[in-house]
Amino acid sequence: MAKKIVIDPITRIEGHLRIDIDVEGGKVKNAWSSGQMFRGIEKILEGKHPNDAWFITQRFCGV
Amino acid sequence: MLEGDGLTKGLSRISRKDFLKYCSIAAATLGLPPSMAKVLAAEVKKDTRPPVIWLHFQECTGCTESLLRTSHPAIGQLILDLISLDYHETLMAAAGKQAHEVLKGAMSKNKGKYVLIVEGAIPTKENGIYCKIGGETALSMLKEASAGAAAIIAIGSCASFGGVPSAKPNPTGAVGVGDLIKGKALINLPGCPPNPYNLLSAVMYYLTFKRLPKLDKLGRPLFAYGRTLHDHCERKAHFDAGRFVRKYGDEGHRKGYCLYVMGCKGPVTHANCSAIKFNEANVWPVSTGHPCVGCTEKNIAFDVSLYKSPKILAAKAPKCLEKEVIETFEMPGEAKERGSGSMVGVAIAAAAIGAVAGFAGAVAAKLPNKEEE
Repeated sequence: MAKKIVIDPITRIEGHLRIDIDVEGGKVKNAWSSGQMFRGIEKILEGKHPNDAWFITQRFCGV
Repeated sequence: MLEGDGLTKGLSRISRKDFLKYCSIAAATLGLPPSMAKVLAAEVKKDTRPPVIWLHFQECTGCTESLLRTSHPAIGQLILDLISLDYHETLMAAAGKQAHEVLKGAMSKNKGKYVLIVEGAIPTKENGIYCKIGGETALSMLKEASAGAAAIIAIGSCASFGGVPSAKPNPTGAVGVGDLIKGKALINLPGCPPNPYNLLSAVMYYLTFKRLPKLDKLGRPLFAYGRTLHDHCERKAHFDAGRFVRKYGDEGHRKGYCLYVMGCKGPVTHANCSAIKFNEANVWPVSTGHPCVGCTEKNIAFDVSLYKSPKILAAKAPKCLEKEVIETFEMPGEAKERGSGSMVGVAIAAAAIGAVAGFAGAVAAKLPNKEEE
């Protein structure tokens, strides 16, 4: 019987990360990582002038 | 080194000289007379550290980084020593379930007493599924955490007004704290990132006077956002004299002329960047040769092109701009009416007079703000 471990939030990082782990017989059988935050920066960039893009994409991550 | 009483036990890495320096800077930022620095210092040393819960939503952690990575680390240290930071995902050791328990514990233990600091916008579309922490949406977390908060500080442009995630077409329905939470003491400290001195000053003000500083219509403290950047800009003399950068790298750019024609939003942007500056190295965007992008105003930085200049009343702009076609934009709402009121008239065209006006601006930047008590 697989045991499920969820770590959410992962701290000391930028952003919101979640880890799901399936453990079977004391060993990791499967694992998933997922970003839990979506802003749609690509959608925001659509239709904007290319010269303005750096200023918006720069905001992906402030670290 | 400071030793002994209360809070200062934790300040072992800050020298007394530095501590008093920061108190003086905070007093100056608040527009208080220099003698108040000692009052701030005394209040701060009382060890009445307010519990603080710091939540991250749709953000890039840039606000936290700007606080922690100041070139002189003591200011970040000082802010963290002034408060009891009970929850902060970037800094805490706990993760997952334990982190969640820390948050719930801090909220129930300090109910009605804690200061809630919010970094990042809150997505509202599809019931807020675009930002989840520990399975809970940002939307429900904010509602729960703000219910028990004594005061809320929205740090950065995202938490204040929605910032970059709320730029058109706002795919996730991102909004600022003030759009969701009504009837709570809320301070907006917009900026991308905001200056850590403004957070320090707001916290010191709250600790000393036990109330919030005076705010403008957008919820921003007047001590920091009461005037436009343009008022204190070191390049203002060039604006008044009609000397502009026309192209990046041209002669005017090399000589440090005014960046208005290149799209500088300084004349309509309310902030103290030009007076306080960043990184304790006396720099800010305009001093490095880039126009202000207007990040402390609502709906400017990420919605208006970097290369569009704010429309200035014809009578207020230098005469040499009269016949030129400059791509401009209209200010939305409130900022428009106030933004245009503070310009020096075209009469000041001579370079010499312009230089004097610029110097007066720089001096005024160091003086107490009359709008604050």
